Amino acid sequence: MVSMQGSPRMAVNLGGIEMRNPVNTASGTFGNGEQFEGFYDVGSTLGAITCKGVSAEPWVGNPVPRLAELGGSAILNSVGLQNPGVHGFVERYGSYLQGLRDKGCAVICQVAGHSIGEYEQATELFEELAPFASGFEINISCPNIAAGGAAMGATPETAAEVMRAVRPRTARPVIVKMAPHDVAEIGRALEAEGADALSLINTIPGMAIDVRTRKSRVCRPTAGVSGPAIHAIAVRMVWECAKAVRIPICGIGGITCGDDAAEMILAGATAVSVGTANLTDPTCAARVVAELTQWVREQGASDVNELRGAFEC
Amino acid sequence: MSMIGAASDAPGLHEFEVMANEPVAEGVWHMRCHTPVASRIKPGQFVNIAVPGDGSHILRVPLSFSAADADQEVLELVYAVVGEGTQRLSNMRAGDTSTMVGPSGRGWWLPERAGRSLLVAGGVGLPPIVACARMLADAGRGFDVIVGAQTASRHVEYLLEELRRMPPAEGCDCARKVVVCTDDGSLGVHGFTTAAMADLIADRPFAQVYACGPAPMMAGVAALARKRDIACQTSLERMMGCGFGACSCCNVELSAGGYALCCKDGPVFDAMEVVW
Repeated sequence: MVSMQGSPRMAVNLGGIEMRNPVNTASGTFGNGEQFEGFYDVGSTLGAITCKGVSAEPWVGNPVPRLAELGGSAILNSVGLQNPGVHGFVERYGSYLQGLRDKGCAVICQVAGHSIGEYEQATELFEELAPFASGFEINISCPNIAAGGAAMGATPETAAEVMRAVRPRTARPVIVKMAPHDVAEIGRALEAEGADALSLINTIPGMAIDVRTRKSRVCRPTAGVSGPAIHAIAVRMVWECAKAVRIPICGIGGITCGDDAAEMILAGATAVSVGTANLTDPTCAARVVAELTQWVREQGASDVNELRGAFEC
Repeated sequence: MSMIGAASDAPGLHEFEVMANEPVAEGVWHMRCHTPVASRIKPGQFVNIAVPGDGSHILRVPLSFSAADADQEVLELVYAVVGEGTQRLSNMRAGDTSTMVGPSGRGWWLPERAGRSLLVAGGVGLPPIVACARMLADAGRGFDVIVGAQTASRHVEYLLEELRRMPPAEGCDCARKVVVCTDDGSLGVHGFTTAAMADLIADRPFAQVYACGPAPMMAGVAALARKRDIACQTSLERMMGCGFGACSCCNVELSAGGYALCCKDGPVFDAMEVVW
C-alpha cells in the first residue's frame, strides 16, 4: 500500500493491450484523436483511443439528418459508419496514430463489415497496413446485408461466427464491441471463440418521431441512443457480463466523470471508454483520468486493479 | 480568461463572460461577451456554446458571430430564440460565465475574381453576412447587400445601419445598396430575397455572391448565381454533435458524391460543391 498522498498504479491490461491508465475513448465519438489535439495532448494523457469504425472499402455513410437531441440527457445518432476504408484511413491517420503509440497511448482500430467476408478482408488489410494498431475492436453491430439488415452479432451464434472468422487473421488482441442485449450469453460465446476482451455497451436502439411531420427526426426509423441517460443500463450490463466471462471488459455508456468510470470498474470493468461526453465537453476524457486516479487514492488502494469488481451487493 | 486548449489554428475550449445580452428585434438577441476566441476567429467561422442551466439538454449551441474585436477580446453574437437551447442562452446575464469551443470551421474567403460582391442574408443568416461585409470593406472590395426577414419587427436595425455605414470601396463611384425585404411587405421590398436578387443582378454586374439564411433561400440564391456564372459561397446550418469534426453527424451532401462535414469542411461551402 502507498500513502494516501502517493500516486496509485493506474496501468491496466485490456486483453493484451497495455494501457497506462484505464481511460479509453468510444469509437465514433473521438474522431481519430487528432481532432482533440486543440484541447489536450491526447498521446500523453489517455490510456488508449479507439478509432472510428473502418471497413475494407470506403463507406459513404447515411444521409442527412444523422443526429437529434432528445432531452433527458441523451442524443440519437445514425451516422452509418462513414469511413474512407482501411487504405484511406491508414494514409490519412497512420503517422498521427504512430505518434500516439510513441507517446505511450494504445491505439485500437475498429473493424466494420456487412458480411463475414468483409470483416475478414478488413482485418487482413489492417494486419498488413497498420503496424501502429495495439489491437482491434470488432464492431458486431453493423447491419448484416445477407440477413436483411439484422446486426451481425445479434445472436450468440452469429457473434461467434464473426469472431471465428477474424481470430486467425491477426495475432494482435481482439476486442468485440457488443450490442446492449444478452451480454452474458453472447459474451460467453465470444470468449469461447478466442476474443481477448469485450467492450460494452454500444448505443441502445431507439426512435424519435417528429409528431408534426410524422417522420423520424433522423434519417432512419431507428438509431442509437447515447449519453448520460444510458449509464445505469450500461453499468448493469457490464456487471452481468463480468460475472459470465473471465476475459477483461471495457465499460462504455454515459460516462461523464471519474465517479461514472469508477462505477464501471466496481461492476467488473478493467478499462472504461468515454463516449458522447467527448462531444459536449472535449476535455472530458482527460478529466476522467485525473478524477479516477483521485478516486483510487481516496479508496486507499495502491493499484486500480484492486478495485475491479469490488462492488459489494 | 484562460484558454484551455493548445494548438494555434485548431478549435480550443475557451471560457467566456457575458458583458451584455439583450433583445434587438422580435425573438432576436444580441450577446456581447469577453473571450480569447475573439482574438483569432475569422469571418464565417462559428463558436459552440455550453449554455448553463439544464443538464438534460447536453449538446452545445453553435452560433456564428457578427463582429469580433481581437484587441479587446470581445465577440458579438446575434441569435434567434428558436429552441430550448437559445431560450436558455437568452437567460444569461452580464457577469455570467460558461465555455465555448472555437474558433470552428472554415469561414468566408475573399472573392477570387475582381469585381463587386452581392451579399444575401435571410433571417438570422444576417450576423455572418455582417462579418463578411466587414471582411470585404477591410479589403477595399465593393459590395451590395440584400437582407430579408419575415416581418419588419424581426429586422435587426442596428446591423442594417452598420452595413450602410461601412466604408465604400476605394475608387468606386457606385453607391452601396442595402435592400431590405419582408415576406409580408411591412418594411422595404415586399417578397423574398431571391426576387430582389434577380432584380439587382440584372442591374449590376457581380463577381461573387455570399449567402446565409434558410436552406430554400440559399438554394434559390445558388441557382440564380449559377445561371449567371457568378461565384457563390453559402454558409450552411446543420444539427451538430461536437462542432469540430469528431462525430461525423453534420454531413453535407456533395455534388461530386459522398459527404463533407458542415462543422469542419464548412460551414461555408462553394455553392457548386453541394447538393441543393
